[in-house]
Amino acid sequence: MRFVNSDPMQLTPFNLSWTQRRKLTGLLFVTPTVAFVTVFFIIPLIMTIFMSFHDWPLFGERAFTGLENYQELGKDRQYLKSLDFTFRYTALVTPPIFILGFILASLVRHNIRYIGIFRTIFFMPVVIGLGVSSLLWTWMLDDRIGVFNKILLDLNLVPKAQLFLGRPNTAMNVIILSVVWKTVGFTMILLLAGLQAIPDELYESAEVDGAGYFRKLIYITLPLMRRFIALALVLSVIGSVLSFDQFYIMTRGGPRNSTISIVFWIFNNSFTYFKMGYGAAMSIVLLGILVALTGLQLYVLRERE
Amino acid sequence: MISRKCIVTVLAALLVLGSLPLAAQDDQINMTMWVRSIPFQTQALVDEWNANNDSQIELTVIPSAEFVTKMGAAIAAGEPPDIASIDLIYTPAFAAAGQLVDITEYVRELPYADSLTPAHMELGMYEGRNYAVPTGVDGSFIVYNIDLFEQAGLDPDNPPSTWDEMLDAMRAISALGDDIYGYWFSMNCAGCNAFTFLPFIWASGGDVLSDDYAEATITSDPVVRDALAFYNTIWEEGLVPEGASIDNGSNFVSAFTGGNIGMAGMGNFAIPLFTNDHPDLNFDVFHIPGKDGGAASFGGGDVIAIASGSAHVEEAWRFIEWTMSDEAQIEIYAANGQIPVRLELVDNPYFEGDERQMTAASALAVGFTPYTTVYNDLFNDPNGPWLEMLQVAILDGDIDGALELGQERFTQIMEG
Repeated sequence: MRFVNSDPMQLTPFNLSWTQRRKLTGLLFVTPTVAFVTVFFIIPLIMTIFMSFHDWPLFGERAFTGLENYQELGKDRQYLKSLDFTFRYTALVTPPIFILGFILASLVRHNIRYIGIFRTIFFMPVVIGLGVSSLLWTWMLDDRIGVFNKILLDLNLVPKAQLFLGRPNTAMNVIILSVVWKTVGFTMILLLAGLQAIPDELYESAEVDGAGYFRKLIYITLPLMRRFIALALVLSVIGSVLSFDQFYIMTRGGPRNSTISIVFWIFNNSFTYFKMGYGAAMSIVLLGILVALTGLQLYVLRERE
Repeated sequence: MISRKCIVTVLAALLVLGSLPLAAQDDQINMTMWVRSIPFQTQALVDEWNANNDSQIELTVIPSAEFVTKMGAAIAAGEPPDIASIDLIYTPAFAAAGQLVDITEYVRELPYADSLTPAHMELGMYEGRNYAVPTGVDGSFIVYNIDLFEQAGLDPDNPPSTWDEMLDAMRAISALGDDIYGYWFSMNCAGCNAFTFLPFIWASGGDVLSDDYAEATITSDPVVRDALAFYNTIWEEGLVPEGASIDNGSNFVSAFTGGNIGMAGMGNFAIPLFTNDHPDLNFDVFHIPGKDGGAASFGGGDVIAIASGSAHVEEAWRFIEWTMSDEAQIEIYAANGQIPVRLELVDNPYFEGDERQMTAASALAVGFTPYTTVYNDLFNDPNGPWLEMLQVAILDGDIDGALELGQERFTQIMEG
């Protein structure tokens, strides 16, 4: 190959201009991400939408049914019950995660000696799989071999062993307890990043002006953490709305089908009742709800000018 | 300098080398087999087969409650096992979906085809063709603790034959001590209660499904209400341990072996466990009674089938045929206390003189099995209407609400 032109702009293999070349480089950089998102999100999403318009058994013949699956949703009592349950669960589990996460983040905020040990301890449950932690809690909550009943009985706080996961009113509470333990460390880390991004000077000058703890919290800490709170909230709410493992493992949806989350119901319909099309329709509706919910959160927590 | 060509060559060589062991194994037939987690004699069968045959079977045990889900997923993924030991009630659903190999021609050539347990053969048929043959025969009945009966002043030779007599016996046994209970049920296990509670309804002349399986008869058949009220009384009066209300079936068999339970619904499969592992347990069995007498049993167990797409249909059938041979039926089934799948072999040297085995086997004579492609969705699904109805009626005491809920959800599922 001969390069007759000495203009550096022309020294590219494909004779591209500098701007074109920059564009090409940019394109090459985003290609892996685009490919990944296309293969693992866009294509499955389109397939799910396609499936939702069909009577699509897990195996066997499939048939186009139009909007029938979506019309079924309104008549499905368990679907409505599961939606209600999932949002009640989300509303109940989110505040403890945030309050506790914030308290823990405040405790481990300053870089003092050995603080890493505490940060590690608080964060450790996060790296355990949710399935493993659910099994662990199921054992700890057991009425015969569980440690909780042992403690309560030894302290004479209960007359006999409690069936925590067997009663509708306690099942939800103990699952929330286990999930808070499991996930609070993650929220703590996000909020910790936010706390540490606030310059100490702001607090110092506020103190000079005579501001107490709560005034500093409300006028400095929370407003400046807005973006971190928004991120943590969106992640936490999405995680709760899509929860499945803890209910599948700890209660199997019981007692009296009172803990069937929406994803659990989608799983049941798709893989136990073999109604993939119907499961797809539910997934699409859930996606719509999540997009709306996330949009709402980001709007409320947006940076105001 | 290492050229690109050189690297490619090395990689290709590695790939070929890596696949060599696989290629070598192809001479030998390797089959996969799935069975649900019920202690039938499957493992013994497979061990015996593997020891004496060139072809080898790899057995995987699937938790009972997840069998349909896992099997469905495996079929959808194009990776079903070659051989499946399936809870007989699921066979119509899998056969209807075209997922089992038609074995009608093979079955026709069996000299003993007519003596294979009829309920299993019927469930293994779809539109007049055979898709499965029996491999585990299991009728339900009540097992009772003779020692506790005697301590409570009851006559162990005359076990209860009506619901009232059962309740009286439970009350007498429960009165023996704080830790002694008249009865056991696993009220968070859907399948356990289809197996042991449905027969109470059948024995009283009732049913939850119409004879043609076209509709649910939960609200229209008064027997269903009576049976729920019967179990509700057991719960309300504390005649079962509290833990029974949340047992998902893991204590279905073991609860009775503790020696502090008077009676429990049970199946044949448990008898060898009791006699082998708990020789001190002094027990006998009686048929599940109706409200005012009569008897019924759930004709349960497993059938064995070949999954569509198996590359080893001939060899799989050779194994299946061997499991039904005299040798396997007597020396593996009967010797291990399992009821043979061929009725003429119930009279065998191992069963002679064991009244319990004879009573258990005779439960099959009053055995009944529902034939519906939505059985799992109706009865066995842990989140299905059957278990929810039982829990609401028996544990919460809301029988009216339970009947309505059951009728509505059964109808919804049956209408598709």
